[in-house]
Amino acid sequence: MSIDMSVDATRAALPMASGARSWAGAVTVAVRCVLTLLGIAIAVQTFIVVEARPSDLITGIHGMADLIRRAVPPDFSKLPEAVWPTIQTVDIALFGTLVGIVLAVPLAVLAASNITPSRYAYYGARGIIGLARAVPDLVWALLFVTAVGLGPFPGGLALGVHSVGMLGRLFAETIEQMDMAPIHALELTGARRIQVFTHGIAPTILPTLLGISLYRLDENIRSSLVLGFVGAGGIGFQLLTAMNLFQYQEVSLLLIIIFVIVLAAERMSAALRERLA
Amino acid sequence: MLRVRSLSVRYPNGRLVLDGLNLQVAPGELVVVLGGNGSGKTTLLHSIARLLRPSAGEIWLGETDLCKLDGEALRQARLELAMISQHPSLIRRSSVLTNVATGTLGRHYTWQTAFGGLPRRELDAARDHLAQVGLVHLAEQRAGTLSGGQKQRVAIARALAQRPRVLLADEPVASLDPEASEEIMRLLQNLARTAKLAVLCVLHQIDLAYGYADRVVGIRGGRIEFDLPREQVSRDSVQRLYVRDPANDAAGDAARDLAREAA
Repeated sequence: MSIDMSVDATRAALPMASGARSWAGAVTVAVRCVLTLLGIAIAVQTFIVVEARPSDLITGIHGMADLIRRAVPPDFSKLPEAVWPTIQTVDIALFGTLVGIVLAVPLAVLAASNITPSRYAYYGARGIIGLARAVPDLVWALLFVTAVGLGPFPGGLALGVHSVGMLGRLFAETIEQMDMAPIHALELTGARRIQVFTHGIAPTILPTLLGISLYRLDENIRSSLVLGFVGAGGIGFQLLTAMNLFQYQEVSLLLIIIFVIVLAAERMSAALRERLA
Repeated sequence: MLRVRSLSVRYPNGRLVLDGLNLQVAPGELVVVLGGNGSGKTTLLHSIARLLRPSAGEIWLGETDLCKLDGEALRQARLELAMISQHPSLIRRSSVLTNVATGTLGRHYTWQTAFGGLPRRELDAARDHLAQVGLVHLAEQRAGTLSGGQKQRVAIARALAQRPRVLLADEPVASLDPEASEEIMRLLQNLARTAKLAVLCVLHQIDLAYGYADRVVGIRGGRIEFDLPREQVSRDSVQRLYVRDPANDAAGDAARDLAREAA
């Protein structure tokens, strides 16, 4: 009896259910259409705002060809003069990464919700990390060039501050994702807070932090090349000078050096990270 | 000597999980606590370790009432009280030897253990503790590479390194095969006798309790049903502990949540 009733009830409910389904289907199709149109509109407006003119690419090809003709062969006689700026570029990145790591570690400890000593410290650290990350390194470089003058030092500072933002966030996330059971077990032995950090938290997350830092160094080497454009030293500054003086053969030499530096940094960073994994 | 007097724990939802519990464990004694889910076994251990603050009662470790301690005094008291759990929580990337020696951290000033270091004498002692649990040959191996049974033995060695007077074991064999379970229980029994440790062990395996306990304590609904030498514990009285009580199941879940929050 009850089975018959439930079958009847199901039958009665079927037209209603299929009606509701068709409504839901229609709404889904409409939403998809609106989203597609919105996507197209966004794409079109970007072409308008950036004043994209594909014809200019065709007319500009002669200028490009002329530039390349004047840039070959690269002027290898300028190689000795490029050695120091190259060292500066790599050292700006190394300095920035080291400053970033040193400042990011304590900030990450405060900004990790699972080990932060207080909510105020958490929000304070998150605020500093957010600010350091939100402002691009090029803008930090401009600010530091104004503050401490031209040269590699403002470049190193700019990368350091920006790295605090990037590393601080990733370090904090790494700490938040770690397994806390071994840490609690260590606390239960009567270990002090700092001992729990040095013997529990640090060995657990160190390989990941080193991997992140190496990746950051790789990124910083790329960034330090550009920072020279705003007067923050390194090979970028020499590249800008050569371009302003129309020394295109020197420009091509500097571009080859940049290519080698970036590729070497990328390969070394990847190899080291693989060993740490 | 561990003495628990009129211990009561009431959860924030008002439920009384431990109700005036009295218990004592003498040095050299292995006491096994049996009881169904939510009966209050884990809450009892967490209260003794002061992961929870009891609502009433006293927990005496020697001449110190743990219920009255906080902060640095509680940390100092915890040095004498080791705990192992179902999942041995080791630092996976550190060596077995380092994991064992970390049990002594609380006995040293921070500067003595700076940058992840440990005093030489503690590392030597850790090697001796590893020999006690039969794992000295794995001293230099990473803890993450060990089997479940080996990890549990390392956790016991770390507890020994702590030089405690009381060892609390919360279902230490729950995730081990029967052979490894027997090994761990044999080890706990030996340690209780040779190191004069007061061992309080929560178990679900009734046969292990019969095999290794000096005394068996049965808990149901937060109250002690019996506290007897193992020879006097009848199968019927043990079976009665496991008659399902839905309220107790809910209490078990709440206990786990609360312990997680406390940790």
